[in-house]
Amino acid sequence: MFRVEVLPGGSSQAQPGYTYVTDRGLGPSQAATAPTLSRKRGIRDAGKGGDISSQRANAIARHIAELNKENHRDVQIAVPVKQAKEAGVRKTREKTTSNVRRILQSQKTFNNYLDDEEAAIAQGGGGLSAFQGGGNANVTAKGAGKAAATAAARRSSTPATGPAKKATGRKRILAEANSASQSAAESSQTEAADGETQTQAEESRPRLLKTEHDNDPLLRSYAPNMPSDRIMQRLLAEPPLSYNASRAAPPLASQPPRGFCCICGYWGKIRCKNCHVRTCGLDCYRLHEDSRCGAFY
Amino acid sequence: MGTSKARASTAAAKAAKPAQAPEAPSQNLPDKTFIIDNGAYTMKAGYAADSAEESLSACTSIPNCLVKTRDGSIVVGPQLATNVSDWNEAMFRRPVEKGYLVNWEAEREIWEQCFFEEKATARNRNIRIASPEETTLILTEAPNAMPALQRNTDEMVMEEWGFGGYLRCLGPTLNAWNEVNTLFGDPLARKPGADILPTDCLLIVDSGYSHTTVTPVYRGVAIQRAIRRLDIGGKLLTNYLKEVVSMRQYNMVDETYIMNEVKEAVCFVSNDFSADMERTYKGNVKRQAPSDDSVVVDYVLPDPNAKRKGFMRPYDPLLEAKKKKGALSGLSAETLSEDVLVLGNERFTVPELLFNPGDIGMKEAGVPEMIMQSLSVLPPGLHAAFLANVLVVGGTSLIPGFMERLETELRQIASADCVVRVRRAEDPVRSTWMGGSCLAHSREELSKVAISRQEYQEYGSGWACRKFAGIA
Repeated sequence: MFRVEVLPGGSSQAQPGYTYVTDRGLGPSQAATAPTLSRKRGIRDAGKGGDISSQRANAIARHIAELNKENHRDVQIAVPVKQAKEAGVRKTREKTTSNVRRILQSQKTFNNYLDDEEAAIAQGGGGLSAFQGGGNANVTAKGAGKAAATAAARRSSTPATGPAKKATGRKRILAEANSASQSAAESSQTEAADGETQTQAEESRPRLLKTEHDNDPLLRSYAPNMPSDRIMQRLLAEPPLSYNASRAAPPLASQPPRGFCCICGYWGKIRCKNCHVRTCGLDCYRLHEDSRCGAFY
Repeated sequence: MGTSKARASTAAAKAAKPAQAPEAPSQNLPDKTFIIDNGAYTMKAGYAADSAEESLSACTSIPNCLVKTRDGSIVVGPQLATNVSDWNEAMFRRPVEKGYLVNWEAEREIWEQCFFEEKATARNRNIRIASPEETTLILTEAPNAMPALQRNTDEMVMEEWGFGGYLRCLGPTLNAWNEVNTLFGDPLARKPGADILPTDCLLIVDSGYSHTTVTPVYRGVAIQRAIRRLDIGGKLLTNYLKEVVSMRQYNMVDETYIMNEVKEAVCFVSNDFSADMERTYKGNVKRQAPSDDSVVVDYVLPDPNAKRKGFMRPYDPLLEAKKKKGALSGLSAETLSEDVLVLGNERFTVPELLFNPGDIGMKEAGVPEMIMQSLSVLPPGLHAAFLANVLVVGGTSLIPGFMERLETELRQIASADCVVRVRRAEDPVRSTWMGGSCLAHSREELSKVAISRQEYQEYGSGWACRKFAGIA
């Protein structure tokens, strides 16, 4: 037996999206197989228990959308109509172009633009932001090198890697990326092979004094080297990520979410048996039960 | 789709590059530079000043909104300070949504009233643009803006007002032009009289009204792949405080402005969350005379009829009982009529969202971890340089305790080899604007990135978009 649940949309607006979830002992056919579960509790617990997630996630998404509103109520605030005299003065300054008229009359909101962008990315266009997935996951330095290589492959105008020696150039980039990530010793080699740009930069930079202790294993610095200028140029030339790709990822250490009392804000130690909200103690629980039990956010 | 068209024509532009792009840019940017840091809450505007001292007076903050007051009249941003005295139930319309300039209908009205008034008055003396044709405009935008919105912005600026020169750039990057060495306690890198150059490595944390972003800036250019955003800013905090107070005390859901003032007055970031929680627990708050070191405070709400502003004072647990007795208890009529919000754990659980977005179920990391996420996509060689130069700007960073908490938590999760230095700009709200003022002074750098009116007219808005994205 299955039940249909509305999925929490990652999108900005409420959109239909459904999933089939297993149903535990709700229907009359199953009541006999699970006699210990009273039907009432089954109905009340629908979507709770093991799989509360979609329902809660929906409530959280609604709550956050609520918190992002400018005003609590929906109000239309029209731009005040100008005095005819004043408007006349302004009109004379310049004729409005069709672009300006289109922009001024557009009633699109941020969410419309966001959906447009997502649709464009889904179709493979993506506008100015060419590779979207790149920043979303944890890309290591090696991945950075690869991305830079693909960028180089796409953009022929990037310096140094001419079409004639493209294959060697790409190899060198990978070597550079490796050096940047790990070994400081290797990097000196590759940088030596790096060509004119590097040496030029070296000259302009103030040089450190050389002493005989430089190679002393106790005194050596194991800090990774600054990446070479070429890598920096590649990094800086990358196109921006899309709006959704640049959002901060969920925290790594997945601590259980902290619960707070819905009445007074202290630690939520006990959970209401009817709805999932927490309260700190019996005082607050009674208040909650009397007034707002069952209300979702 | 305009965006995909722009993309397709990029390739064409590449092929025909020598023919299209001018070899020596025939740029003659106008001398006067006007800078607008177009924030969602306030915009910071003014002409580029000659020195840091002057720039403070040259920069004006203007609320970037239309307000509908309780009696139904609609007031535009620049007139708010003088024309609105009753902020109860004021409704806002902001052209900048989630940090991005979306609604040009409203924004044009605000800009017209701020910058393009026909007559020069005392109010707009510093910010009036008499002839846009002879002015270069530096306009900031939030990172990761949609190409469609960027294009709209370019078209409005160049076609509606026709500025002589124009630069649209990421707001955080401008901060690198400020002099930050003294802030971090480094020796001055630039000699007096030498050319102004941007700081080498700077990690900008911009905590504003709509969101909090982390932007690593290398020599004045943002590293796009490492820009991260947390969707929590001043607006969400105000709304959350509003919701919590409405649930526990008075219904304040329509009082955005007042709750914003309450937030600015009372909220702080706790450096010991659980201890502060214990101190505000109702079982631990003793019925005693008001003391100064208590976390719990009273906030007296403003009374527009008596022309009194809201203010904070230490919590008086006996006040409620005294009020019940009425005039017998010897309280003045003024005290009896006032409305008081008692704020305990609300003071620090609300800004706590910046560090624990999970408290409202948001699946994003807090600010310190977001910084580490941003660095994780960069070569390890850069980590130390950025961690040692974290600059915090934006109005939300003014919440007391924010800096200490950020530095402590960042220190805990950063590698032990790295030095962690977190500093707040002297004026976090106007720091970006002042950076723009510095950039305006190095004409050479400015002419590399800005476009002139002739170029726009010749190559169009698609080219302008690519130019500002650093592709053309």
